[in-house]
Amino acid sequence: MKKSICVIDDDMIYQMIIKKIIERTAQFETIKFYNDGIYALEDFKDLDVVLPELILLDINMPQMDGWQFLESLIEHRPTFKNETIIYIVTSSIANSDREKANSFDEISGFLSKPVSVDCLEKIIKEHR
Amino acid sequence: MSRNKGSFSFKSNFLSRPILAGVFSFVFLFLLGFFLLFQSYQIIRESEAREMINVMDLVEKNLNNSLKDSYSVALSMGLIIDDEGNIRDFEQYAPLLLEQYPVIDVVQMVPGGVIRKVYPYQANKAVIGYDILKDPKTRKEALKAIDVGKMYFAGPFDLLQGGTAVVGRLPVFKNNKFWGFSAVIIKLESLLEQAELNKLAGEKYIFQFSKINPESNEEQFFLQNDLDIEYNISETILLPDGDWKFYIALKNPKEAFYELIPMAFFILLIASWLGWVVTLLFKQPIRLQALVNSQAGELAASELKFRTIFNQAAVGMVRVETATGKFLETNQRFRELSGYSASELNGMNFREISHPSEINENLALIQQLLNGDIREYSLEKRLIQKSGNVLWVKLSVSPLWKKDTSGSTHIAIIEDISERVVAQNELMKNEKRYRALVENGGEVVTIFNRKGQAIYSSPAIQKIAGYSEAEINSVNLSSLIHPKDIAELDKQILEAMKFPSKPISGFTIRAKNKKGEWRWAESTITNLLEDSSVKGFVGNFRDVSEKKEAEINLNKSYQMVMEQNRRLLNFSYIVSHNLRSHSSNIQAILNLYNTTSVEEEKLNYIGLLSKVGNALNHTLEDLNEVVSISTNLDLNIESLQINAFLNKTIDLLEMQISDKGAIIKRDVPDEMIVKFNAAYLESVLLNFRTNAIRYREQKRKLEISILGYKENGDWILEIADNGVGIDLERHGGKIFGLYKTFTQTPNSRGVGLFITRNQIEAMGGSVAVESEVGVGSVFKIYFK
Repeated sequence: MKKSICVIDDDMIYQMIIKKIIERTAQFETIKFYNDGIYALEDFKDLDVVLPELILLDINMPQMDGWQFLESLIEHRPTFKNETIIYIVTSSIANSDREKANSFDEISGFLSKPVSVDCLEKIIKEHR
Repeated sequence: MSRNKGSFSFKSNFLSRPILAGVFSFVFLFLLGFFLLFQSYQIIRESEAREMINVMDLVEKNLNNSLKDSYSVALSMGLIIDDEGNIRDFEQYAPLLLEQYPVIDVVQMVPGGVIRKVYPYQANKAVIGYDILKDPKTRKEALKAIDVGKMYFAGPFDLLQGGTAVVGRLPVFKNNKFWGFSAVIIKLESLLEQAELNKLAGEKYIFQFSKINPESNEEQFFLQNDLDIEYNISETILLPDGDWKFYIALKNPKEAFYELIPMAFFILLIASWLGWVVTLLFKQPIRLQALVNSQAGELAASELKFRTIFNQAAVGMVRVETATGKFLETNQRFRELSGYSASELNGMNFREISHPSEINENLALIQQLLNGDIREYSLEKRLIQKSGNVLWVKLSVSPLWKKDTSGSTHIAIIEDISERVVAQNELMKNEKRYRALVENGGEVVTIFNRKGQAIYSSPAIQKIAGYSEAEINSVNLSSLIHPKDIAELDKQILEAMKFPSKPISGFTIRAKNKKGEWRWAESTITNLLEDSSVKGFVGNFRDVSEKKEAEINLNKSYQMVMEQNRRLLNFSYIVSHNLRSHSSNIQAILNLYNTTSVEEEKLNYIGLLSKVGNALNHTLEDLNEVVSISTNLDLNIESLQINAFLNKTIDLLEMQISDKGAIIKRDVPDEMIVKFNAAYLESVLLNFRTNAIRYREQKRKLEISILGYKENGDWILEIADNGVGIDLERHGGKIFGLYKTFTQTPNSRGVGLFITRNQIEAMGGSVAVESEVGVGSVFKIYFK
């Protein structure tokens, strides 16, 4: 069964790279990109929109960062935890970010960039 | 006493029995009074009797006049009888006679006892022909007249013709032969009127008029009144012409008696009063005697008391011969104090046991006492005990002679005050010590009133602040306090007001010293307004300027270090994040590159890699800029006029401003000059205004207002716009962060505000923002 994946990140180069990596796993049928949390939220807060199986979320974004996005989404769609799997993917190696990620039940994991094909495949396996 | 008793028995009897004396006096006076009263009563009685006799004399005289008149008329009538016994010219003479003697009412001629002629005729004609010698009622009296041979009055009786009257009948003889009667009738009323009885009776007397009835031989009374002959009788006269009896009596015989009753009461009163006075008078010696006895007793008792007090007193007491200073008497306590026995002290002079230092003063006081200049004195002096030890005593001296008489002896009271003197000396030492502490300490102590006026300042103020006490007392203390610390001081004073006598401490304020320098004073204020010895606030001020300045510098350094640290942390985060994003991208690309064999794809990755390189370069440039701001510590800082720089930036942005039709309002004073780096100031002003233009609200005309003013002594520049605004709730913490943007406006990179803030902070200032989405933003730059 083919799945859908969504990447929320303002780094255009990263977007290109992750697209290649996702394609290599050959596990996803659709890939959706958002440049900022605010754009992703605009779509996802609509309860008619079906959430992708996996979301890779960046923390540092100009308008709405990863945390703000998560908080807003919880507000608009309290049960979204059952509809999708969210991973934080960030270039930050700050411990504070990792700890904050752990405090969210909705977050399944914290990945430091760069993300490899193996890493992604491992995640897919975990949630099969 | 008992020997003399007999000879003084009467006197002492009365002296000891004042009531008896009083009664005796009363009875004596009462009897005397009544005796005098009785005498005067008798005198009144006698004078009344005399008066009555006089009255009766008058009555008698008047009646006799009437009777004489009757006799004259009757005689005259007899003359009109001629020798033949005929009555001639009766009608002619009768009226003449009646006219002459008005007392006579009727005249009659009665020849042979038969009434033949009467005048006035008309009223009396009924009697004509009446034979008086035949009628038994009249016969007896008529015969009596013949018998006595002269005029005799019959009646009073009721007349035939009416009325009561007396009839005087004169027997007329012709040729020695009884002819008949010539009669006159006097009405009883006329008779009494003639006697002036009514006039004489007045209010005082009553009369009675009686005759022995010739037929019944009973006394017949003719006047209607209640005169009781038996009781009231006083005076009588007898008139033989008619055998009449006149009585006079007092109408109110008891009047004189009644008149004396008030007098009797008065006598009773006087006698009683005098009796009482005598009682009191006789009592006086007894009372005086009792007083003398009781006072003698008291004197003895007080003598005893004095002895007891003298001997048993807890203070030393001595009686001293004033002139010589010799002890006459000493009490137990004094002997204890001095250590000498009674016999040793006997004849000793007070000088022998006095400390030489006070002897002269003591002698001078004794002299004043002897001169009468003072009536007492007290002195604190030293007493030399027998053992040679010195004892501090308080001496109180009172003379035992009366004022203005020459001095003899005096009483001295000696109290042991050694403990008090020692305590006092200790207290004085302490006082000196505290004074030294206050005056020489490193602390200024002032007492000031509610208005902030110093009442007292410790001399340390001269040393510490340079003011003399007079100078500090002449100014209001608040004028010496730093304006920024006045509020703090007021707060503490308010606290002190709330808690009287509680020291309010632990605050530090700046005060101006005489040189005009601000010095930090660690202060304690105690509200002792209610304390009567202070009546003010006590302020303790310690100059802690060095400490405080060190503290401030330390604090500043700490703040600076913290700020540096914060910025470094922020920077390291930025560095790690922004550089790592590129490095991770490179890593990922290389990874992809290595794991592909497709040549075309490999070329693709190389292209991607060069893009990462560009981005990295950009990032490094940004970081470099930030680093240069944060680390460039020796930038050229000048005094710059804000208006000049605003003009410059407006010129730079002229195109954009006129393009968008923006309105720029400016209210910045020319004297607004700040210390800043010129390049930074230009960059800051440009950035805020570029932002204002970039993030304008498309729907309305852009308005930028720039306001410059001073707050708490520092310049503030306010740049307000009516642009899109920023959701501060969402972005507040990151608004000045690197790579943070808040709108979907293209070209916004999130670098400008970050740089601006860093530039302002590098110049020691700060920046704040107020904003509302859809309304606009206000940025405030606080210059140092």
